[in-house]
Amino acid sequence: MNEKIIQLKQELSKAVIGQETMIEGLLIGLLSDGHILIEGVPGLAKTTTINALAKALGLDFKRIQFTPDLLPSDIIGAQIYNPQDHSFSIKKGPLFTNLLLADEINRAPAKVQSALLEVMQERQVTIADETFKIDSPFLVMATQNPIEQEGVYALPEAQLDRFMMKLVVHHNSEEEELEIMRKGATKSFKEVEKVLNLEELQNLQRELEKIHIDKELEQYIIQLISSTRDPAKFGLGNIAQDIMFGVSPRASIDLYKAAKAKAFLRGNTFVTPADIGYVIHDVFRHRIVLSYEARAKGINTDEIISKIIETLPIP
Amino acid sequence: MKHNLGKILKLFIALSFVLVFAEDFTYSFHLDKQDPYLKEPVILTLDLNQSNHDIVLMFNFDLQKNDDYFFQRLDTEETDSHHNTQIHYVYLIYPLKSGEINISFDLMKKVTTDDSVAYSFSGDRDNVKGLVTTDIKITLPPLPLNVKKLPQGTALVGDFTLTHKFKKNKAEAYEPVPFEVKIEGSGYPPLLDNLLPKDVKFTVFTENPIVQSTHSRQGTQSSVLYPMALSGDNSFDLSPITIKAFNPKTMKSYELTVPEQHFTISKVDVNTLVDRTDYPKPLESDWSWLGSLFSYLVIFAAGYLTAISIKWKKKILLHTNDPFKEKIENCNDERSLLQLLMATESKKFVKSIEKLEKGLYGNGKINFKQVKQEILEKL
Repeated sequence: MNEKIIQLKQELSKAVIGQETMIEGLLIGLLSDGHILIEGVPGLAKTTTINALAKALGLDFKRIQFTPDLLPSDIIGAQIYNPQDHSFSIKKGPLFTNLLLADEINRAPAKVQSALLEVMQERQVTIADETFKIDSPFLVMATQNPIEQEGVYALPEAQLDRFMMKLVVHHNSEEEELEIMRKGATKSFKEVEKVLNLEELQNLQRELEKIHIDKELEQYIIQLISSTRDPAKFGLGNIAQDIMFGVSPRASIDLYKAAKAKAFLRGNTFVTPADIGYVIHDVFRHRIVLSYEARAKGINTDEIISKIIETLPIP
Repeated sequence: MKHNLGKILKLFIALSFVLVFAEDFTYSFHLDKQDPYLKEPVILTLDLNQSNHDIVLMFNFDLQKNDDYFFQRLDTEETDSHHNTQIHYVYLIYPLKSGEINISFDLMKKVTTDDSVAYSFSGDRDNVKGLVTTDIKITLPPLPLNVKKLPQGTALVGDFTLTHKFKKNKAEAYEPVPFEVKIEGSGYPPLLDNLLPKDVKFTVFTENPIVQSTHSRQGTQSSVLYPMALSGDNSFDLSPITIKAFNPKTMKSYELTVPEQHFTISKVDVNTLVDRTDYPKPLESDWSWLGSLFSYLVIFAAGYLTAISIKWKKKILLHTNDPFKEKIENCNDERSLLQLLMATESKKFVKSIEKLEKGLYGNGKINFKQVKQEILEKL
């Protein structure tokens, strides 16, 4: 594994115990310019993790707590009138940062969620008639409460598609919990130090581009994508009823990039089917739209994805 | 002779008119009778007059409750002056015990100031301001009454009349026959515990008597209605009812009567009765409880067996092979095993996946059976 990546992981482990899935997902997103959606109960060190990542990389970090009364101008900024010289000036919102934690994103109404769309995809913000570019790197880590909770709005499919991966975070293991308890009680968490600068991060991103992916694997990815849209064609007639909409073209791009990033993080120079296997659930999970019958039967997208992998032969 | 004179003097002082001077006020009692009969009305008047006009004075007065007498306040008159309070109370008293009884009083003197009164009046409905007073309990000597006994067997005291009413005196077996007795007049309220004599030949159904009483200086005007119903299965006679009363005004006894009544009861066909459950008695034994018991047992057995079947089902499920385990065992080559691990929790089998990757895409050789065994052990 790349030395810088090892250093970064070690630094993060000073502040965050366990939660490897979340850390791995954040690094994949950071290296491949993707955004991460995290679903889980409160108190799983989501803010701590992204804060630690910002410190370790020396990047800007901002947090927005999404609430039902939040307005788009609260996050993107607004044009403010100055009565002294009768002019308007732009007040930039908290979106102008490198790492953004959009906490409990599904507590805000659709218009605020949509305000994030342009920024996430185009990396630019339009305030009044002026458009501003967002500095690179730009990573949105959004957290959402399970839809079963009260006072939450479901995220629209268009916005979900903007997220490269959706990670489902669970509680720590008992051993990790013990360590958290001891360190938390004695306040012995160490301060995270900067181990990577922007140039080094960009170097890592360039190295990632060099990761080789075989044509057969590219074809395998296309088969995986297509099987969600037309399951019967790939011998998956038994799940055809359960899928209303398959994944979008963004999914194929993101799966391709995420598999490469995973291979890179594992210290490989080429992608194997296992790398695709490691990330496919996270990339497809929020993009497959289940049919009413499937939801009624209690089937989730992870089960559909597993059936697809099990059925399609790997190269 | 000496003793008799003393008694006469004592009675005169105590029962006719008493004027006493107390601190800040005077009070006087007056009784209209000195030696009433038992349950004969007695009128007591009390006057409280403020003598110290420098203070604001108020009173709380009432008779003490006692089983020896019954009382009712008839009137209260009070002057509307805080410095010259004059109160006139009128009570109606009925002695309930013969011999010498004492009428006792509760009197509280309440002293306050003009400022306190003004402050208490400054409040309103939503801002009540209390009146601060200095309360002093005044002990008044009790008033003795020498109560005379009634003639033997007297049930009512006063001037009463009795009326009675039957709707019919012919009825069918067990049919209720409404019967009313009404006693009205002036005197102690004519309430009787047992108006009708007990008789095994018929059943008496009673209600609480309906009492209407008005108290006044002339005594109590009462009307008591006893609603009843009689019922029997054979013809019966209602014995004459005689109630002995005494009028203290005339000092004469008299009787209130209900003459003997005959009720003709005709037999009815049992089958025509509405209540056939209890009357007549069931001709056949009732075994319906056995059916109920059986149904309860069936329900209990069904519940018990269901609970046991869930336990069995759990045991069967535990012994059934894990489908994932079966799939692993059925894998014949490295590729299919890797594919299966990718489809499941790939992060849980990282080491096994790496070994399989080496075998498939690297140069290393692996022991397929050993990898498979490692995975099975993890499950």
